[in-house]
Amino acid sequence: MVEKTIKCPQCGLKKIVSGKPGENIKIVCSECGSEGMFEFPGNVQKTRLNNEKSAITVTNLTKIYNDVKAVNNASFTVKKGEVFGFLGPNGAGKTTTIKSILGLIQTNTGNIKINEIDIKEDDKSAKKFIGYLPEKVAFYDNLTALQNMNFYAEMKKASLSECKPLLVSMGLENAVNKKVGKFSKGMQQRLGMARALLGNPPILVLDEPSGGLDPRGVALIREKIKEMKEKGSSVFVSSHILAEVQEVCDRVGIISKGVIVAEDTVSRLRDRLKLKPKLVLELEKSSDKIVKSVESLDGVEHAKIIGVMLHVVCDPKSKSKIIIAVEKAGGNIVNIQIMEPSLEDVFMRFTED
Amino acid sequence: MTEIIEKLFKNPVSVIAKKEIMDNVRNLWIIIMTIIFAILTIAMSALGSYLSEGWQALDVTIALMMSIVTLLVPIIALMLGYAAIVGEIEKGSMNMMISLPVSRFQIVLGKLLGLGGVLSFTILVGFGIAGIIIGIMVPNVNYIEYLIFIVATILIGLVYLNVAFFFSTLFKKRSTALGGAIFLWFFFNMMLPIILLGVAWGGAAITDIMSGSAPDWYFMIDLVNPMSVFSALVFLNVGGGLSSMESMSVQMQYPEFYSTGLMLLILAAWIVGFFALSYWRFSKKDI
Repeated sequence: MVEKTIKCPQCGLKKIVSGKPGENIKIVCSECGSEGMFEFPGNVQKTRLNNEKSAITVTNLTKIYNDVKAVNNASFTVKKGEVFGFLGPNGAGKTTTIKSILGLIQTNTGNIKINEIDIKEDDKSAKKFIGYLPEKVAFYDNLTALQNMNFYAEMKKASLSECKPLLVSMGLENAVNKKVGKFSKGMQQRLGMARALLGNPPILVLDEPSGGLDPRGVALIREKIKEMKEKGSSVFVSSHILAEVQEVCDRVGIISKGVIVAEDTVSRLRDRLKLKPKLVLELEKSSDKIVKSVESLDGVEHAKIIGVMLHVVCDPKSKSKIIIAVEKAGGNIVNIQIMEPSLEDVFMRFTED
Repeated sequence: MTEIIEKLFKNPVSVIAKKEIMDNVRNLWIIIMTIIFAILTIAMSALGSYLSEGWQALDVTIALMMSIVTLLVPIIALMLGYAAIVGEIEKGSMNMMISLPVSRFQIVLGKLLGLGGVLSFTILVGFGIAGIIIGIMVPNVNYIEYLIFIVATILIGLVYLNVAFFFSTLFKKRSTALGGAIFLWFFFNMMLPIILLGVAWGGAAITDIMSGSAPDWYFMIDLVNPMSVFSALVFLNVGGGLSSMESMSVQMQYPEFYSTGLMLLILAAWIVGFFALSYWRFSKKDI
């Protein structure tokens, strides 16, 4: 194990971290909450080799539908053991990319490798590594949940004994012998996740996994993603719920109009965009005078008042100056909160016209 | 040995075929059609016994049962096949199927084997019950002839199943595939015989047909219709090689080039040809 002292680039807080040489760890600052990745030095050659072995590699992928490029020269990598969030507005090319990875559609150009196996050369071997939850979950309605699971287990050459425990783990213990045709949307989604987990796949591809689920179901899916990551699986997740993605993903890829516009950790993307944190001050009473005095300060990018909440986008160093300015302008501060730029802010910036 | 059996039953083709059987034997429409088929077959075998004065001639019974076959077997086959691919694509379950470690060839083969199994089972149930009744009533029934009739029926069923299956790979919507299947039934059962009669009229052969003999070229063209091939296959082997032209109530002698082998070859060509077309279409289809 190696010990290193690191410094938060946002607030300057120092912290001692330990890890194996070449290991990548995710760090969350206890002071300002900002996130980042840290790679321990040493044994670099070995680390590189390991990192180069990716779970999914997409290179120069293009898919054209009726003269429209649904995906345009897209390249990205999902590393082994990471949770990769795949984001994009509606119609950006997310589902087309996923369908290309799974061999559901024929691509015009580009290469896709699953666990280093080119799907054009040997798609059957490549697909053995994948557990897939499609956006539109569908089963054989005349069969029960267990019969459906048994069918997929046999197809994936997984043990039939896995089926029932997986159904139970997804909260379907009372529906094991019920025909799937009588399932609600949420139950089908849970069954879809159970199916994706069959055979403990090293790669999980989840397309909108929270669709149609209640909050408990959403939490369950989140737990399953974390569990799979702990087991060493790679998870490729496409979702519209950005807060959800931010919570579970190590890195994200953003696609817009068929083009990959960003691929990195959320904190690095935030840094790249130079997005500033937001200071949120709850006031006893708001006034225009307070807003004007704050806006005139150096390091303040933008200030606006919503009810009694004053939102200030600013340099973190300006915090104390802002508090003084508010009080000088006659404002009484009830509460102060610092909000780091969210994934939503990053997403909006990368996908804006 | 155990290993071979395990490989045979656990390979993706067998697993898909088994799933198709499990899924379709629970299909209400298939159950209803099987019951109707069994009832009508029994009714026709009873009517055959009445017309042949007490179960004397199996060929009369078979000729009557053929009217059921030509009507119902294509319908059952089309019902089983028309949505096999497009239905799963529309519903979304095909996404999942293709994401599994299985080739598209295995999917087509597994599905057709399963659906063919259901169809064969349906035919065997209908004819099996009728066969038991005939066996009880007739002292010296020629079961070989009856077996040939069953095999020929399964083959014509498989022809329609493969054609309907191809439609299910061809169209983007289940409803279009259903329309296609209905048209197909009309075409082979209604339109094609009329077209062939028209051709015969044009070729001045209609009077020959009405009098019980037709020129060879008419028989040649008639081979286009799989239902005619099926009839020929049955009547070449049952009841002394006479064709029962039910629509005209005349019997006709088949030409010399009509043989069991040729009829089997034509039906096999329909099955294999449309299987190949289905695979070709499905292998290029975006899901």
